[in-house]
Amino acid sequence: MQTQELRLSFTGKGGEYFVIWIVNLILTILTLGIYSAWAKVRRMQYFYRNTHLADSSFDYHGNAIAILKGRLIGVGLFGAYSVFLQLMPLVGLTILLLIFVIMPYLLVLSFRFRLYNSSYRGLRFNFVGTVESAYVTFLALPFATMATLYLLAPFMHQQVKAYQHNNSRFGQSSFSFSAGAKSFYKIYFFTFMQFVLVLALFGYGAYMMYSDYIKDMPREAIVGVVMAVYVLLILASLLIVPYFMSRIQNLVWNSTSLGEHRFTSSMTAVGLGWVIITNFLFIVITLGLFKPFADIRLTRYKIEHMAMLPAGSLDDFIASEQQKIGATGTETAEVFDVDIGL
Amino acid sequence: MLNASYFDGQSARQQPVSLRIVEGQLEVLGTDFVRNEPLDTVRISAKLGNTPRLLHFADGGHCEVRDHQGFEALFHESGFAQHTLLSRLENGWHYALAATALTIGFIVASYIWGLPWAADKISTQIPAGVSLAIDNHFLEAVDEGLMQPSKLSEKRQQKIKQKFESLRNEEGVPAYHLKFRGSKDIGANAFSLPGGTIVVTDELVALAAHDEEIIAVLTHELGHVSERHPLRQLLQSSVVGLVMTWYIGDTSTLLAAAPTALLETSYSRNFERRADQFAANILRQNGIKASRLADILEKLESSHTGKKKKEKEKSSHPVFELFSTHPDTDERIRTLRGK
Repeated sequence: MQTQELRLSFTGKGGEYFVIWIVNLILTILTLGIYSAWAKVRRMQYFYRNTHLADSSFDYHGNAIAILKGRLIGVGLFGAYSVFLQLMPLVGLTILLLIFVIMPYLLVLSFRFRLYNSSYRGLRFNFVGTVESAYVTFLALPFATMATLYLLAPFMHQQVKAYQHNNSRFGQSSFSFSAGAKSFYKIYFFTFMQFVLVLALFGYGAYMMYSDYIKDMPREAIVGVVMAVYVLLILASLLIVPYFMSRIQNLVWNSTSLGEHRFTSSMTAVGLGWVIITNFLFIVITLGLFKPFADIRLTRYKIEHMAMLPAGSLDDFIASEQQKIGATGTETAEVFDVDIGL
Repeated sequence: MLNASYFDGQSARQQPVSLRIVEGQLEVLGTDFVRNEPLDTVRISAKLGNTPRLLHFADGGHCEVRDHQGFEALFHESGFAQHTLLSRLENGWHYALAATALTIGFIVASYIWGLPWAADKISTQIPAGVSLAIDNHFLEAVDEGLMQPSKLSEKRQQKIKQKFESLRNEEGVPAYHLKFRGSKDIGANAFSLPGGTIVVTDELVALAAHDEEIIAVLTHELGHVSERHPLRQLLQSSVVGLVMTWYIGDTSTLLAAAPTALLETSYSRNFERRADQFAANILRQNGIKASRLADILEKLESSHTGKKKKEKEKSSHPVFELFSTHPDTDERIRTLRGK
């Protein structure tokens, strides 16, 4: 069955979000950081509820107390590590080791929390990945990657995305991920080549600066030429990161399906780069006040370049058994949230 | 009548419904069903910008309302829902303005007073071994290109070292490590590092007309070491860097380093003034005029701005000169000469 693609849309507005953001910020400052958990809920809700697909919006149900607990644990662990590293380095290093060892477990909790607390049309998402596989993906693989001098990095990236997407659920439907490591290696390779090219050009520029040829030119001309070349190079190098980000995002979503439904993502390096670079410039010019506008612009760009290719009616999704039993939430997902972005 | 979308919480089916309030009950009227909910069992979402308003029912079903005016009329004007303090804060422009002013005030105050204060306190807690390791790391990095081994004779180095060591000070002298290096790129210069390492270039030794000028510069650097300026500076710029990375991080980590560099390139005027005072004090105790420091500062200034091209400074490339201007130096020279 061939149906029309459903574009995601984002209706968040910079001015509107600025006020929410600044109120969040001042309350966080006045409460010495405690309010930040409630601020996160509000921020997430603002972004989720402004994201629409087929006339319905998404929603976020995270519990601020659970987020606060997670943040306290995070601050506690990191604080203990920093303090003990000064006083008793051995204890400090033990804590660091402990952080590494429990990290995969914390990641699983974080995925569960994030997904279980996300909903669309009243149905919750969920994450069913096991802790065992998390230890393979987030502890064993990184070690293997380092041991092979990062030759395994694209493979690890693919494994991470596969673990996340293959274990995600919407109601009773499963997400699945079909991209192999080969497509990741391709993106990493082209990114690396761009990096090498820019580096070589920088090196050549530096060499020219010291050459005899340039010494005879008037000073203003040298400065002008050098500046122009470097500005161009910096602009080019600034596009490498957006290139990588957009290609990965496109690959990940073009290879993801939910049941029979598929997704597309069509970000471009130049489009994303333009948003990122102008955001950065405006943030600097406004001494940071542009940040909420920047967040909105970046989210709009990402979301509006995604679409769903439905294989049937979206009405047919059914709530999971878990959600049917307790409408408010399950214990496993509500332990605490850990702020780890991947 | 208020139009809404209804979801039963069991499936993703979206059903158009109309809402009205009848005798304290919310009536949800669909095309093929009707449900009545006592209003006190309905969870009404607080206003959040222009996002849809949500009505959650006890059994997991919910309604999504996009007609904000209609929602306002049905629930708020009839008194069935109150605006929260938060949504009131978010909807008054004067609150937003006040919050903006307060936040900016807080950040500026933290940067001007809080950060230097904290850096000062923390710098006393860092073990000497750690800061010395930073020095060695730095020296290793610059020794691979930016700097070369000193071409000064062992005798000359010893002479300067001995003169510097023999300085008396009532309040004692902090631990330091004097190092000589040559550097065509940096030119005449002296600087101190977090662990108390003081580096002086051959070019500075050559620039000085009198050994007391070299001693004066070293004493100035010793002033920085004595008050842990390099370490405090490092801590301050690391914090600024961390905050910047976290703040702009979403945009691009790569770009976050740029403004940090702009904010924290050189010592504050205050640090320089304190080091000058320290130097002037010690020099006087040892019978050296503070104006020696002024003399060498003046020469350094002109050697870097390239006014005295005859000083065989051709090796300094014009591109570097763009980045080295010291507007405060004249004032410092006047102060030192006034003493």
